[in-house]
Amino acid sequence: MAALWKTCQQCLRYGFSNVSIYTSITAVNVISKRNFKAHWVAPTLRELKRRKVIEDDRNGGPKIFHRSTFLEWNYDAEIFAFSNRLGEKFNDLSLRAALTHKSYIERETARLSDIGVESNLQFQDNEALSQKGGELLSKFINGYLRAVFTQVPEELIRAMHDFLTSNPTLETVARHIGLGDLMLCADFPCKTETYVKSFKAIVAALAESSGEERARIFVQDLVVTQLYGQDVNELWNPVDPVGNLTAILKREGKAEPEFRLIRQAGSNSILGVYYVGLYSDKNFISEGAGESLEVAKEMAAREALKKFFRTEDSMRALPFGRQLKNIQSKIAQLENQPNIPLSEWISEKVMSAVH
Amino acid sequence: MSNSHMFLPSGFIRTPLQNGLGRYIPQLQRITLKFCKNHGGSRGVRDFIESDLMEFAKTNPGTVVYLKPRRHRSPCMVAEYLNGEREYLSCHEFSRDEVHKWLSYMCTRSGIPVMRFRKYQHTDYPTVQGVWNPFTHQAPEINIAEFPHEVLSRPLDHGPTATEQLIEIFKKTQIEDPANKPPN
Repeated sequence: MAALWKTCQQCLRYGFSNVSIYTSITAVNVISKRNFKAHWVAPTLRELKRRKVIEDDRNGGPKIFHRSTFLEWNYDAEIFAFSNRLGEKFNDLSLRAALTHKSYIERETARLSDIGVESNLQFQDNEALSQKGGELLSKFINGYLRAVFTQVPEELIRAMHDFLTSNPTLETVARHIGLGDLMLCADFPCKTETYVKSFKAIVAALAESSGEERARIFVQDLVVTQLYGQDVNELWNPVDPVGNLTAILKREGKAEPEFRLIRQAGSNSILGVYYVGLYSDKNFISEGAGESLEVAKEMAAREALKKFFRTEDSMRALPFGRQLKNIQSKIAQLENQPNIPLSEWISEKVMSAVH
Repeated sequence: MSNSHMFLPSGFIRTPLQNGLGRYIPQLQRITLKFCKNHGGSRGVRDFIESDLMEFAKTNPGTVVYLKPRRHRSPCMVAEYLNGEREYLSCHEFSRDEVHKWLSYMCTRSGIPVMRFRKYQHTDYPTVQGVWNPFTHQAPEINIAEFPHEVLSRPLDHGPTATEQLIEIFKKTQIEDPANKPPN
């Protein structure tokens, strides 16, 4: 009976708080032990599990507890470990302020005033920090994008920047550096906006504590690397590629684009494919394939624009981490210098901008 | 090696949040060591705590170490990772070295569950030059060619015929004639 109670206790204790189906990893013992459980253990556990599943379904999901409700929790140690994990030095006050939300302060003051204790709470919330952090984040990301994608129009830079600063991306980053357990907020499980706010406030706190240089490297290491594996052309495509291409060629003083059918197969079937080549003054620029002539024409124009902007599938790999050491000054310089917009894009202008 | 008799899930090697691409972040968030102060099964854990734990904590400042002395309980360690996964390991009757080794094993893992790796590499960019399709490397002349064509109807690996080889040899001998050599 005592053994069953102990097993149940252990099951229940690890039953809550995010237990995955891959919970147990048993040590590979050299001398394996034989576990003889009594005949009533398995059926009892099965019944308990059945009842637990019914209860959880009735309550809308298993019960989850914040990590700070556990006995083994030391907030100061967690904060220390957080800064060391990232390899950064934070001012203690700035870091704690960055992790404290307004909702938490309100909840605590309300709770204390309910009890009757006068609340002299000297908590600072992260509103101002998160605002500043958001601006810094945008600035650092734009600097990196403009330094790496030199030939690209400003619309694509904006699309990539919007992807990197979107809520899902920042929430993923915030979760995976361990902010979920450290944030002081009234909502649990924490909302996306809370995560994003905390992360931006952390960036600002880091800029305050260790300087803007370190904060820039931090953003490059954590946020910009989320661009890896993303097809840049999925994020943005000009609405009228043929029109845009014609305008660019006209501005450069080249001949109008001419579309020629290069290859075709299966035009009588559903799986027909047409390859259309794009020529300007009899010079081959690009080719595109599609299931109909119009689609193929548009794809050819898109490929031509990709070639101009140097964002083809075969473009250079994006630099990250230590590879950015040499271009940090260039990044800092281009933070406030937007690229050329699509309506004015010319190769010569872009060539002169390349350092 | 077939997968049919294995219960391990299989997948490609991956890392949370592109770890290592920018900077390396140790993925072990916290580790809880539970042991008994008296019982013999916790002796290894107790010895480890007395001797090697401080050094471990100093070399891994990004991991919080919690100690839970609980009477009449067998020792165990629970590792929590940054992606929310937990790993439980019973340390009953482990020696001090075994505890140390398993602890360093927990340190080096990310929280991604143990799985059989299908391949030891992974790339998001499998092709740079573009995937082959039947139109790759086809001469554009086939579009307006009338078949049978002198050049395009020949097999690709035909090679020069015997007559052509003889003509080549004759031309070579012509060049070697000193009267025809161009002045150097």
